[in-house]
Order: sequence, then C-alpha cells, then structure tokens
Amino acid sequence: EDALLPVPQNISILSINMKHFLTWSPVIIPGEMARYSVEFQGEYEREYANESWIPICECSLITATVCNITEDISATVAYNLRVRTAVGARRSKWGTLKGFFNRITTSLTPPLMKVIADGYHLLVELEDMGPAFQFCVLYWKKGQESRMQQKVVKEVGSVVHLDTMEAGPDYCVKAQTYVESINRSSSFSQTQCVRAQGGRSVWL
Amino acid sequence: SVAEIRSGFTAIKANIQARDPIRTLSILSYPHSLHKVKSSDRCCITHHLFNFYVDKVFKHCKTEDLYVNRKISSIANSFLSVRRRLQQCHEQNQCMCGQESTEKFNQILANYERLNVTSAAMKSLGELDILLNWMEKSP
Amino acid sequence: SGELHCSFPNPRNVRFESINMKNVLHWSAPEGTGDGVLYKVKYSVYGVGKWIRKTECRNINRTWCDLSNETSDYEEQYYASIKACLNGMCSDWMETTRFNPLTDTKIDPPVVSVSSTEKSISIILTAPEKWKRSPEEESVSLVQVYPGLQYNVSVLNKKTKKRWFFSISNNTLVVPWLEPGTAYCVSAQIHVTTPLLYSGFSKEYCIATLKDKTA
Repeated sequence: EDALLPVPQNISILSINMKHFLTWSPVIIPGEMARYSVEFQGEYEREYANESWIPICECSLITATVCNITEDISATVAYNLRVRTAVGARRSKWGTLKGFFNRITTSLTPPLMKVIADGYHLLVELEDMGPAFQFCVLYWKKGQESRMQQKVVKEVGSVVHLDTMEAGPDYCVKAQTYVESINRSSSFSQTQCVRAQGGRSVWL
Repeated sequence: SVAEIRSGFTAIKANIQARDPIRTLSILSYPHSLHKVKSSDRCCITHHLFNFYVDKVFKHCKTEDLYVNRKISSIANSFLSVRRRLQQCHEQNQCMCGQESTEKFNQILANYERLNVTSAAMKSLGELDILLNWMEKSP
Repeated sequence: SGELHCSFPNPRNVRFESINMKNVLHWSAPEGTGDGVLYKVKYSVYGVGKWIRKTECRNINRTWCDLSNETSDYEEQYYASIKACLNGMCSDWMETTRFNPLTDTKIDPPVVSVSSTEKSISIILTAPEKWKRSPEEESVSLVQVYPGLQYNVSVLNKKTKKRWFFSISNNTLVVPWLEPGTAYCVSAQIHVTTPLLYSGFSKEYCIATLKDKTA
C-alpha cells in the first residue's frame, strides 16, 4: 500500500552564500495532509559506512516542501539527499536528488557594503554573512587604480576602520566575500566613493 | 576545514568524553604526548592519523543520539576533505615518514588494539581536541 | 583509616573554572547539608590515570580548591574528583568532565594604555599572562600560548558618538588625523582563532587629543 503514496518530485537544491535548502513539489493526496521526511548521505557514509543515510530531525514529518540542510552540509564533499512522503503510517518510496550536491557550488553574492568618511578616516560597514565568510576590501584614490590597497576583514557587523584619507581626493572602495572552506570568492560589490572634508562625510 | 572539525567536536565533546570511562589510557597521548613528535614528522603523523580516524574510528562511533550522529557525520566528512589535501602533500613527497613517526603511529595503533573496538573508537573520538591542539600548534 | 560508610549526598556541579589558566576546582555543597561538611580532593592526568590526593585540600570546608599548579601543563588533560564527609559518613567521589586547559580556559581582556597628541592617539595592548606559581617565576604571555592571538579594538569619538573597529595582530595601534580637543574612548578584546576563544571587551579608557595650539 506504501507504493501508492507518490514520491516527491522536482527535488532540487537552492544554495546561496553557504545556506543550503532542499526543495520539492508538494504531493497532492485528496483528503489527506502530506508530510515529508528528509535524509542525507555524505561521501563518508557512502565510502565507509555501508552507504548509510542520516535523518534530519528538523525535517522529519514536516508539511513544508523545503528543508534547511545547511547544518548537515558541513564539509566540502559530495552529498546525496532524499525525501519521501508520509501520511499516517504510510510512506512513499524515497525520491533522491539527481546528482550529488557539493557546497563548493554555492552561489556567492557580493556583500552589502556601506562606505563612510568620518573626518579624515575611511570606514566600511559590511553585512554579517555568518562565520564562514571573510571579506576582501579594496580601496584606492580615484584615478590611481594601479595603487589599490587591500584589507581582509573577518569581524563584521560593525564599522571597520580602513585607513586615513588626505583632504581633497576621492577615495573609492569595493568588496568581495571569501569563503575559506570552499576557497572561493564572490564578485565585487558596486564601487562606492567618498571624500574627506574637514570632518564632514560627503557622498559622491 | 579544520575549524569546522573543531566546532563540530566542541558541540559533542562532553557527550562523547562522558562515554569513555577509562582514565588510565590515552590513545594519542600514551606513553608520550603528540607534542613530543619532531616537526619534521608532523605531516606524516597527521596523514597517518587522518587515515586512522577515517578507516578505523568513525564507523564504530554510532550512538543512540541523532544529534551526536549528525555531528560525527559532519566531522567524518570534513576529515575526508582535509585528508584529500594531505594526500596531495603525500603524493608530492612533502610528507616523509621517519622511523620515529612510524614508531609513534604504531604505538597509537597498539593503544587502540588494547580496547574493544567500540571503546577504542569512542575514546579516539573523545581525544580529537588533543589531535587538533597539536595540529594547530605552531611547529 | 579505611574507607568510611558511603550514604552521604554527593557534592554537586563539580567543575573547573579557569581564567588565564588559573585552574580552580569548584563545587556546590551536597543538597540539604548545613555546616560542618568537609571535603577531600584528588586529581589525575588523563591517560596516566593515577589519582593523586591534593593534600592542601584535604578535609576543607570551603567549596573550591586551586589546582593550577597540578594542571599547569596545558598539553595535557585532567580530571578532578570531590568527596564530601560529615560525622563519619561520606559521599561518592564526584568527578569533573575532562578538563583541557588550552581550550577550556577563559581569557581576560587585554590591558589598554592610551596616549595622545594633538591629532592622534596611540594604543598599546598587553595580553594577560598565563597563571604562574610565584611572582618570581618567569612570566609567560598568552600570546606565546596562543600564536593566533589577535586584538579587536573599538575607538569611540565621544563628540560624534561614532565607534570604529580595528582588528590587529600586533599590540600597538596609532590612529592619526583625529580632531584636536576631542575625547576618544578605547576598549579592546582578545580573539584567538584556534582554538576559537574570545575575551570580553576591556573597560573603556578615555583620553582627549590636545587642543589645537594654532586655533
């Protein structure tokens, strides 16, 4: 009777900035509420632990058709993922993600960045994207792109001091994220330029 | 990464070490601490130990606690990806094994064989902070 | 004397409390017991396993015992154990979890000293020292214990109320191009990357840049 329960379809991964989600299409069973359970299998389980699967308890018998698997995809190896339907005691067969998922394929977006000139000081505020992220911040005097300077910022969520500025020229800044565990960077943010002027912040 | 191994281990350290009642034996530190290993032997010992944990330890650490099992899976898979990088050093002959490191690793295997496999595996897992502290100590 | 009859309630919450590797064993008195309870303490090095009695903490009535001396090698791990006795009755030995000084210690904030000129402030940070047996003993800075030690420094402009952050690896920082005659408050935190440890932020040290003589 189990085979009657439809297997979830369109199983796919949505992975942005090292946040990984498994999604699938809802299973429609007239007069019944479909629930779903998700399991994962890392390379270790495949190669060394008899191809065992590990349930994700936060996504056990859920009604949603999305599961946050970030906590379990915590190594840069190939993972298998599967989901099945449940109604009462009845279970469908497992629907397995086509192909492996490796977090190295996550899409990295440029960081939100705000550049501030406070007197003669060049500062930057970067969004906190989680412990996996560092930021490479490039800054230069406008017109002197060849003399770009770089600062790696690991502690974010506050106004980080970059450098001091001379009065007069514009200073430009852009930033990208870097994720050490997958050794990849995002593209750069939009460039923002400011100018120091006797202690007042000026946007250009 | 090693930082992820450490954070995964920190999350279950008390649980795992509480399952190891044997105070009189350490797999990694008995009779001599890893800290006594010459820096020239570090790469080889590290490579051996990553193989040891992947091949021998993790598979015998299944518990009744699903959260702990998920963290062990996370650590084991992180070991695989770090080991892959160590493998490259080994293949480029930057990871030479001297007599001392071979003896040290044989001592670790001997310590491991002295216990039944589940106790030995759980004790080894509980000693991951010993391994990480040694690995991350500057040479 | 032989072991005494054991039906006395156990000490509770037995644990190490460690700051800058000053490792002190703490516990709570057994439930429902008043004054007069005496305690015995023993400890062991993990992997060696021989329990060693701490003689200075034999039959004490306080609920702590300094084991810094016995646990000073931070490349080892330790257990400690407590027994409570009253009127000839004793509890079981109650053990700590495995104590790893390197990862389980808490770190004090750095000491911050600040000086100023007309347009700059100079900040010198001093990391705490590792606990030592006696003042005569050579000091070991936690910088030597944790090679990955860094400082997060916060500088607050009291006039504009704006706070800036710096992350530095060495222990000095000069912030130039400041406004003369303005108060700045500095506080700093230690951040160790491996193992991952943070101190709290130090209290704020405030100083004013000198007034502009030409103004």
